Amino acid sequence: MAAELRAAWAIALKDLRIVFRYALWVPSMIFNPLYQGIIPAFLFGTSFAVGGRQLGLAASIGTPDLAGFLFMGGAVSGVVGVAFWTMGMSLRSEMDMGTLEPSWLTPTRRETLVIGRAVQGVLITGVVQAALFAIGIAFFGLRLRWDALRALPAMAVMLAALLGVGFLVAAMVLLAREANFLVDTTNFLFGMLSGIAFPITVLPLALQAVAVLLPTTWAIEILRADAIGARTILDVRLEHLILVASAAVLVPLGLWAFRSADAYVRVHGTIGQH
Amino acid sequence: MMGPAVRTVGLTKEFERGRRTMWQRLRREPDRRDRFRAVDGIDLEVQAGEIFGVLGPNGAGKSTTLKMLATLLEPTSGEAEVLGIDVRRHPREVRAHLGAMLSGERSLYWKLTGRENLEYFAALYHVPPRETRARIDGALEEVHLSDRAEDYVERYSTGMRQRLALARALLPDPPLLILDEPTLGLDPQAARDLRERVRALRRQGRTVLLTTHYMEEADQLCDRIAIVDHGRVVALDTPSALKRGRRAQEAARLRVERIETEAVPATLEDVFLSLTGSALRE
Amino acid sequence: MTYLAGDARAFIAAVRRELRSMRRYPTVIVASLFWPIVLPGFYVLMGRVYSGNDPRAVAAFAARSGTADYAGFVFVGFAMYMWLSIFLWNPGTLLRQEQLRGSLEAVFLTPASRLVILFGPPVAYLWPVFFQFVVMAVALRVLFGIELSLDALARAAAVIVVGIPSMYALAAFFSTAVLRFGEIGPLVQLVRGTLVLLCGITYPVAMLPGWAQTAAAAVPTTYIVQDVRRVLLARAGIGAVVGDLGLTLAFAAVFAGLAVISYRWIERDARRRGTMGTY
Repeated sequence: MAAELRAAWAIALKDLRIVFRYALWVPSMIFNPLYQGIIPAFLFGTSFAVGGRQLGLAASIGTPDLAGFLFMGGAVSGVVGVAFWTMGMSLRSEMDMGTLEPSWLTPTRRETLVIGRAVQGVLITGVVQAALFAIGIAFFGLRLRWDALRALPAMAVMLAALLGVGFLVAAMVLLAREANFLVDTTNFLFGMLSGIAFPITVLPLALQAVAVLLPTTWAIEILRADAIGARTILDVRLEHLILVASAAVLVPLGLWAFRSADAYVRVHGTIGQH
Repeated sequence: MMGPAVRTVGLTKEFERGRRTMWQRLRREPDRRDRFRAVDGIDLEVQAGEIFGVLGPNGAGKSTTLKMLATLLEPTSGEAEVLGIDVRRHPREVRAHLGAMLSGERSLYWKLTGRENLEYFAALYHVPPRETRARIDGALEEVHLSDRAEDYVERYSTGMRQRLALARALLPDPPLLILDEPTLGLDPQAARDLRERVRALRRQGRTVLLTTHYMEEADQLCDRIAIVDHGRVVALDTPSALKRGRRAQEAARLRVERIETEAVPATLEDVFLSLTGSALRE
Repeated sequence: MTYLAGDARAFIAAVRRELRSMRRYPTVIVASLFWPIVLPGFYVLMGRVYSGNDPRAVAAFAARSGTADYAGFVFVGFAMYMWLSIFLWNPGTLLRQEQLRGSLEAVFLTPASRLVILFGPPVAYLWPVFFQFVVMAVALRVLFGIELSLDALARAAAVIVVGIPSMYALAAFFSTAVLRFGEIGPLVQLVRGTLVLLCGITYPVAMLPGWAQTAAAAVPTTYIVQDVRRVLLARAGIGAVVGDLGLTLAFAAVFAGLAVISYRWIERDARRRGTMGTY
């Protein structure tokens, strides 16, 4: 066990080193969510403002705090990205580079290889989010409230649930031919259906049915309720309960999928082989 | 260590050609794909302390065999034991004791230094933290990279990267090393140096199982050689015995007749071509 | 065969090769159905939340953007975004791939004009761009019930056709940058991101701070996006946008010139250092 933990940390450390050696990666990790998500959404939102007040938003979610609404959604979307890209897709990149095989040749559990990445992803996302919040406070009128800390337990449960999601994605990446496209689209849909930019009640009913199954839907609900006083869809205690239940299902499901995919690859050879 | 370092009995690996679509799977249509045997019942016994070479044309099943021994692929049937451990039942235990170098220089992190690469893999090999430093220094020493350990791997030459990959395989202090074409793409000096490293490994009492395309290399380096074609072992002996063998004599005679000169001793290449034919394998 | 005729044939060959390589990636086709619907759809749903069905909020949006129809506004914006990103991205990426594979060097060994491979590939991308426009118009109608009249579509098509040369020149200019700085260089990402932000894909340019509005006025895409919205959603006539159209043509000339100059410079530099393939 201790050896596995050391291995997980070694993986995180290795990835952190590589990230920081590409000098421009970290700034672009901050810039990308800004230009792809927050700025376009924020300016779109402010173009509905009446005399500087977000009347429409207030009617929809119970608070006119546009910046808080978007930055909280963005924070969760950043962590979702860890599950899809850092835990999932990076396996494929290493496979293509040829560095996955030697890791696969060591006695370290393959689950640990994925978890180590998750540790690195969460650490980097933490740094990036802190920078984004600072930018939000400086330029977008974002105000952080201490009450937001009450959402921490829910955030911890969400991380656990996303670990399960990350294993599911890793399984998909091991088996799929066009992994990049698959990860790109499912990551976007996952974030969208979780309500990173709107409450799920505006979705068509069929999509709402999917949205209620995602742990992040409830994590965002709880975070926005605590951080900006947004209205919740259900009672907050019930939302906590659903979140915990989804984590309890997703973690074993993800592990099972990942182990099955690993076994499949060992029998049939990896993608591109034969 | 008692018993053979590697033992396989009827080791077989089948692959399907082409792919089944999701639609075919969902409808449970019968699987109409071709199956072909990459490895077709290989029996091997590699003795402890020897350098054992596997020779064969492209697609003969060498790499697939090595991958099964290294637990990267699951055999379709047959048995395989590495250091007395069953590769199917205890794959992690096999990996803990086995040093393997399968894809060489491509398999390193170029943005890390040589030492950082080894530190990373030492953790993955579960090397105890107290021993890590000594183990890494020893491995670097072994492959003559101690003075370049702090450089980024992207600044290494191909030969140095290959040596670093070998150092990585030494991290678990393995009694057995599996090397897939260790000298591929190296210039003659670097290849000779690497061969010298391999001989040093044998002097330390380690067993080495390697594949190669270079006949001369196999001839100089290996104690015994298995020639593999179409997934089967077609000849297995010491290099000199192979050259003395019946087919070798035929090959030599052919050659002698052709060039009308006095008896020339058969080379391993003659033996190889007479066993596997001279048609191109792509 | 004269050099000109030879170059013309080389040009066509470059376009055909590009089209062929597109066909070989089936996910490209799925992607060109997925993103043009999902991305703007995402913003339309956001618009619902921001408007909150409050007529005052919708009126505020109309005052800033020239139309109360935020779904149409967003779809037109993203249609332009898709065009921009296909043009700015794909030809450069493919050129870069050739450079890394070494096949660019092989092309340079032929007597064909160097400019053929710079200006040939974007032509191939006109077809997928057109395809995406159709997908989006259909999605707008089916999902959000917004019908675009034929004559408005005809005027929008006119604006787009006049806009092609400037987008084209911008694409060629961008390709040279990719050749020099590498494809996924965060620097290139930054330039693209800024360009997208400036031309107001999801919001009226009036929402940008003053300095950014000034910068936006120096990019042809800003005019194209704005004019397509005017003729399509605000029912303006061609006469209302003719000045802008002239401007985009002028931009086309400027960027084409810049592309040729920087491309020549990169090529000469590479020949001096002997490293066309190893940037």
